[in-house]
Amino acid sequence: MANGFAPFIGLIVVALFCGGAWFAAPKGENQTVWRSTLVLSAVAMYLMWVITFLAQLHPLISPIRSDLRPE
Amino acid sequence: MAPPKDTMFRSADMSLTQLYIANEIGREVVSALGELGVMDFRDLNLETTAFQRTFTQEIRRLDNVERQLRYFHSQMDKATIPMRSIYDFNNPFTSPSASEIDELADKSQSLENRISSLNESYETLKKREVELTEWRWVLREAGGFFDRARGQTEEIRQSIDESDDAPLLRDVEQNGQGEAAERSFSVMNIGFVAGVIPRERVAAFERILWRTLRGNLYMNQSEIPEPIINPENNEEISKNVFIIFAHGKEIIAKIRKISESLGADLYSVDENSELRRDQVQEVNTRLSDLASVLRNTKSTLDAELTAISRSLAAWMVIIKKEKATYQTLNKFSYDHQRKTLIAEAWAPTNSLGLIKSTLQDVNDRAGLSVPTIVNQIKTTKTPPTYFKTNRFTLAFQTIIDAYGTIKYREVNPALPTIVTFPFLFAVMFGDFGHGVIITTVSVAMIYFERKLLRSKLDELFSMIFYGRYIVFMMGIFSMYTGLLYCDAFSKELPLFKSMWEWDENDKGDLGPTSHRVEGYTYPFGLDWRWHETDNDLLFSNSYKMKLSILLGWCHMTFSLCWSLVNARYFHTPIDIWGNFVPGMIFFQSIFGYLSFTIVYKWCVDWAARGQNPPSLLNMLIYMFLKPGTIEAPLFKGQAGLQIVLLLMALACVPVMLFLKPFYLRYEHNKARALGYRGIGESTRVSALDDDDDEGQTLNGGRESFGDDDDGIAMITQDIGHGEEHEEFEFSEVMIHQVIHTIEFCLNCVSHTASYLRLWALSLAHQRLSIVLWDMTMKIGFGFTGIVGAIIMVIIFGGWFGLTVAVLCVMEGTSAMLHSLRLHWVEAMSKHFIGDGVPFEPFSFKVLLEEEPIE
Repeated sequence: MANGFAPFIGLIVVALFCGGAWFAAPKGENQTVWRSTLVLSAVAMYLMWVITFLAQLHPLISPIRSDLRPE
Repeated sequence: MAPPKDTMFRSADMSLTQLYIANEIGREVVSALGELGVMDFRDLNLETTAFQRTFTQEIRRLDNVERQLRYFHSQMDKATIPMRSIYDFNNPFTSPSASEIDELADKSQSLENRISSLNESYETLKKREVELTEWRWVLREAGGFFDRARGQTEEIRQSIDESDDAPLLRDVEQNGQGEAAERSFSVMNIGFVAGVIPRERVAAFERILWRTLRGNLYMNQSEIPEPIINPENNEEISKNVFIIFAHGKEIIAKIRKISESLGADLYSVDENSELRRDQVQEVNTRLSDLASVLRNTKSTLDAELTAISRSLAAWMVIIKKEKATYQTLNKFSYDHQRKTLIAEAWAPTNSLGLIKSTLQDVNDRAGLSVPTIVNQIKTTKTPPTYFKTNRFTLAFQTIIDAYGTIKYREVNPALPTIVTFPFLFAVMFGDFGHGVIITTVSVAMIYFERKLLRSKLDELFSMIFYGRYIVFMMGIFSMYTGLLYCDAFSKELPLFKSMWEWDENDKGDLGPTSHRVEGYTYPFGLDWRWHETDNDLLFSNSYKMKLSILLGWCHMTFSLCWSLVNARYFHTPIDIWGNFVPGMIFFQSIFGYLSFTIVYKWCVDWAARGQNPPSLLNMLIYMFLKPGTIEAPLFKGQAGLQIVLLLMALACVPVMLFLKPFYLRYEHNKARALGYRGIGESTRVSALDDDDDEGQTLNGGRESFGDDDDGIAMITQDIGHGEEHEEFEFSEVMIHQVIHTIEFCLNCVSHTASYLRLWALSLAHQRLSIVLWDMTMKIGFGFTGIVGAIIMVIIFGGWFGLTVAVLCVMEGTSAMLHSLRLHWVEAMSKHFIGDGVPFEPFSFKVLLEEEPIE
């Protein structure tokens, strides 16, 4: 498994961030907005990253390029 | 118990309050509450027309003042005197006292008189000036006719030479019109009319004269080169000077009448050239006198208007507020005996303390011993839905409110929308460069917020400005998804080492195939080596398609969970067991399973297994067509699992169909068996019956009323009219549930498919930006030298302009609309109840925002 554990590390990082955001959200009438926005953003961004990562974990095709210039 | 803190998650807790206000301070109380802006007053006089209400007189008076202020404003516009901006006042929002309003009304009355009299005299003077100018033209032109005629006299040497008229008739004769030519040229008999007529009427004028006088006239005319300005409407009219000679007094009189009826202005001109010269001189002196008087009047008027302009905006605000105050007072019911105003209003429970202290303040200031009483009423009426928003959340709340008013205390979809809306937008709009552009724009708008708020913006820009925080979030997320897609203006971003290396071919060159760096996966986003490869689309389409399905599944599951939260909050367990649980099982056993297989397929190293990876699409199709047969297995026991899942999904349909309606019927029958009846069904046994009926005749059946004969305040719940209570009808509930079930099951399929728009739009966006690059910049790079540099600058301008206009504005709008749809339809249909009543507080701030004073 190539880097198969990376999504879990990401998950832990995001979970820690969410926990931090939950408690560090500024008090006051906008606390709910802060919490929900930070947590949801982190989750949405993690999801997008992990989907992209997983899609390339065991790619079925490899790039083919015929117009390559010698570097 | 203290009410819970109001958050954006649920609408604010509302209470119906009843206010007893002493009549003397009614105006002050309402005005103070208008400043607070937290009370939604109910109309207690729905049956009374606007004219019959208590404070109609005051409103009329204020209407008049408002009209006067508008008159000043229009006069200032006419004189192009700018009004002092409302923002230049220190605090225009202080509420004035009644005497100040009276003063203002008197002042505006006297000012109006003054202005209008000044205006009137100005207009009269102006008219006089126009008349004189016209006269001067007539004198000049007619003099020209006479002079020319005289020149002819001398030439022809007509015998009767004392008369100036004779050569004129000679002229007439030459024109073949003068039948009177043979007769004696008596000076007495030849008269003339001179005047001015609008140019477009000249033809008609000539024709009419010709017909009525049968040609017995001689007419001469010439155009006035400069247009005459009509002082009444400031319009320019081009006019002609005419002079008509005719024979006989009666004919002259006729001509006069005709010319006047056609709107010509007649002026007297003397035949004698000496006298005429005097006339011209006189006219000229009068004109110059008039001009100086006009100048004085104008400057007085301007000075007056400038003085008004300094405080006009404040007056307008004051009057507007005052009017709104009386309009609100008109909603109150008035107790004539006790001289008390009774009001009912919805207010956020958390603001009650503030309201009470404000009322106390007003009372203290007025020095009244009778306090204003605030009562909380229990009611079956649905409270209005109210969210306290700030600059950031306002636009997101507006998106949701545009779809429907949220039910009171329901989960507010606007809260997660703050993230999901811009995020789904960004999935479609993913490009780092374009993200940077819109983030920059939104940051600029936020930075210059105060300035932009005060200036007038055109429609499109004001819309973008309203959603500046949405655009900001969109920009941030677009930058992120752009990084993941590895796109910046369609170019790759080689942030990390690629996981692919080009193979070496026989000639020692690189390509066209590649191999993977062993044990390494590109850590962040798509590998940049995919850019401009031959099979780029093959890979990215598969990736983006699956990404759309997975994100859609997450979004819909997330939204569906809110229906559980709602059911728990409203204590309707039947919604959990009859709707949420079977719905969730149905959705997960088909699309949850699909999502699982997508991720599972990614996680398996098929090459290492030496297997061909199975097609997920075929798997899903065969799951329904031939349950139990697996053509290419994904994992062990797949067939059995799929059958179980399918059975679970199928089993959920009847549960969803029948559980809720039958449970409701059972509940209803149980209640009836216990002897409960609908309130409308049975006769009332209350001792308050008489009161109730009386209340209905007096107050027309409103929810509560504030007085009875004994002078004790009491509240009647007029539940007979309860709009809240609905009769239980099994067939209706059943039909509703059938529709819901069919809709839910079909929507699970169609909504999942609908999320594929994420893939389609992001593909379109990426392709479009590649095409734009290839058509402009790539060509530009082909040139070299100085010419190349110049061409490059031009092409870069074109490329950047098109990037902003097409890719950011147009594509952005389309992606935004698609994201909007995903929220309104795909997500909100899973949990949104939305039959709320919007909270419309009586607030001066809102009032002034809706009708701004520019």
